[in-house]
Amino acid sequence: MTNSMQPPIKLHNQQGSAQSSLISRLAKRSIFRNTRRTLLTVLLISCSLVAILFTDAFVRGMVTTMVKISTQTFLGEGQIHQVGFRAANDIDLYIKDTDALYQQLNNIEEIQAYAPRILTGAMTSSSENVASAMVYGVDALKEAQVSKLKLAMTQGDYLSNVDGEILLGEQLADLLEVNLGDRLVVTVSEAHGGELSQALFRVSGLFSFNERTMDIGMAFINLSQGQKLLNIKGVHEVALRLQHLTQAEDKQLPFWQALNNEQLETLSWQELVPQLSSMLAMTQYSTLIVSLIMYILVCLGLINTMFMSIFERHTEFGILLAIGTRAKQLFYQIMLEGFFIGLLSVTVGLILAWGVCYWGSIVGIDYSELEMSGLTLNEPIYLVIDAATFFYMAIATIVVTLIACLYPAFHAARLQPSFAMRKTL
Amino acid sequence: MTITTQTDTAHKVINMTTKSEETVIETKQLCREFGQGDTLVKALSDANITIERGEFTAIIGPSGSGKSTLLQLIGGLDNPSSGDVFLDKKNISHMTGTELSDFRRDHIGFIFQAYNLIPVLSARENIEYIMLLQGVSASERKKRVDMLMHAVGLEGLGDRRPAELSGGQQQRVAVARAMVSKPSIILADEPTANLDSKTGADLLDMMKDLNEQQNMTFVFSTHDPKIMERARRIIRLVDGCVVDDERKA
Repeated sequence: MTNSMQPPIKLHNQQGSAQSSLISRLAKRSIFRNTRRTLLTVLLISCSLVAILFTDAFVRGMVTTMVKISTQTFLGEGQIHQVGFRAANDIDLYIKDTDALYQQLNNIEEIQAYAPRILTGAMTSSSENVASAMVYGVDALKEAQVSKLKLAMTQGDYLSNVDGEILLGEQLADLLEVNLGDRLVVTVSEAHGGELSQALFRVSGLFSFNERTMDIGMAFINLSQGQKLLNIKGVHEVALRLQHLTQAEDKQLPFWQALNNEQLETLSWQELVPQLSSMLAMTQYSTLIVSLIMYILVCLGLINTMFMSIFERHTEFGILLAIGTRAKQLFYQIMLEGFFIGLLSVTVGLILAWGVCYWGSIVGIDYSELEMSGLTLNEPIYLVIDAATFFYMAIATIVVTLIACLYPAFHAARLQPSFAMRKTL
Repeated sequence: MTITTQTDTAHKVINMTTKSEETVIETKQLCREFGQGDTLVKALSDANITIERGEFTAIIGPSGSGKSTLLQLIGGLDNPSSGDVFLDKKNISHMTGTELSDFRRDHIGFIFQAYNLIPVLSARENIEYIMLLQGVSASERKKRVDMLMHAVGLEGLGDRRPAELSGGQQQRVAVARAMVSKPSIILADEPTANLDSKTGADLLDMMKDLNEQQNMTFVFSTHDPKIMERARRIIRLVDGCVVDDERKA
């Protein structure tokens, strides 16, 4: 051995990798020094990640379900009206040139199906009772391609284009105290003058959308009879079923411009029920809020854990600094410990979250009868797993873990060796 | 060698002549104070010490006399309140943190009272640690570790963690770690305090041999009579002041 202060034999090109390997080895072994504490910390971070991903999947599922309920039950992903009809609710404002419109709709690739309708407020009278209702005249075949009316039938038969057929909501039938085959008189005001018009119907079927306002306030008749009843040769509304739901959001698609002109007003479901789209937009902030709360908890928990670990190892850090470890290297070691804890937590969290969310996407969470923004959740909410969110949240968790380790790492790096070792050397 | 000490009540100058001509450690007017105002404590007062290369020196004194403080200042583990520390003519008092870390790594070996090995590293890895920081090649590391494991009598125990070694074995690892980077100075704080008398004596003999063979400079703080017996020079501290400096024939 030498006895003078000559520099040691060094291979500078190997120095960086050797030191990195050393720091990495120390960090990996240190996190399992107190296995119970590390596992508890991992559990805290993992559970937070699960909560965040579950919330995200739940919100996505809820949004999907609500939009599905809203659009597929009856609304459609878009609707066409005569300009001014929705604002005035005037039955005189109807689409007259329906043949041209249908031809145009048939040529639009994005439109999977459409359903023409007439609609008017009416008085329905049975032998026992009277009730007001919204009467829709629909094309039986086309309506079945757009809405769930046919699927919602609980008793009797669906419309078959025979005059005199009427479908009633179950609760409306109860109110009118009628059953299948019973007679019913519908009284409406005709278009162009408002003369009263009446027609006799026989209850051919009962339906239930599992939505109170629809089941007590709607009745369906055949379109042709409805047109005769109102004395019009057009339709008030054409409901659209698009190939993809996202096409309803993309107002840059050419068909939206083509179907909006001086005569026609075509709106997407977001515009038709703005309160629902607003509520859904707000709902999506819940993931952000839950994430923030969870990440704050993660930060506090991790800072606490890292400080406990650091305080326990003050002497050791003092030794490391004393024998030549640079403060920067100690800083990296603590950060690396945090990174490994984060990595382990993310791995466990992703596996748990995927399991829970997958289960939720298969089984669904039953919120039936719960009403939100006027919409009854009449089917379970199936969680929607978004791979991108899993990826981004995993990255975010590791970043948050590293941020939480900054303070403890700075604390360790700034230690004075003599203070850290206290009464040893 | 000249030792100058100052106390509030007296000034004492002890002049001694040494054969060595190369000064390794030199402190000038070294002071360390803790606290302030009424709670001000002078742990070390105006210590002027020079130590030549190859000396085997013991710093003795009662508890609280400033032994550990002096070693900490010499080792660059603490900053002096005033005064300077020169190691091999370099003033370490004005070095940056990184410069000081590198200087300690390359030029000073530390042996601590409570062994203070890194518990998550094996004996071999503990010894190897400093060389990894220095970027020494793998083959050179292996060669030096094997040689030192043999020198301190720990062959075959390299893969054991500190918790699996006895106190004496741990302190031998600490000695090997202190020497592996070929430092010119080894500072030891009561290295035998936690060892039984036989183990302590064996360890001291081993360090004494290394001192003589390698001409390394050893500075101990100690209460241990065995160290005092073996030391060629004894510096006595009382209340932070150097009050005596004895060189044995």
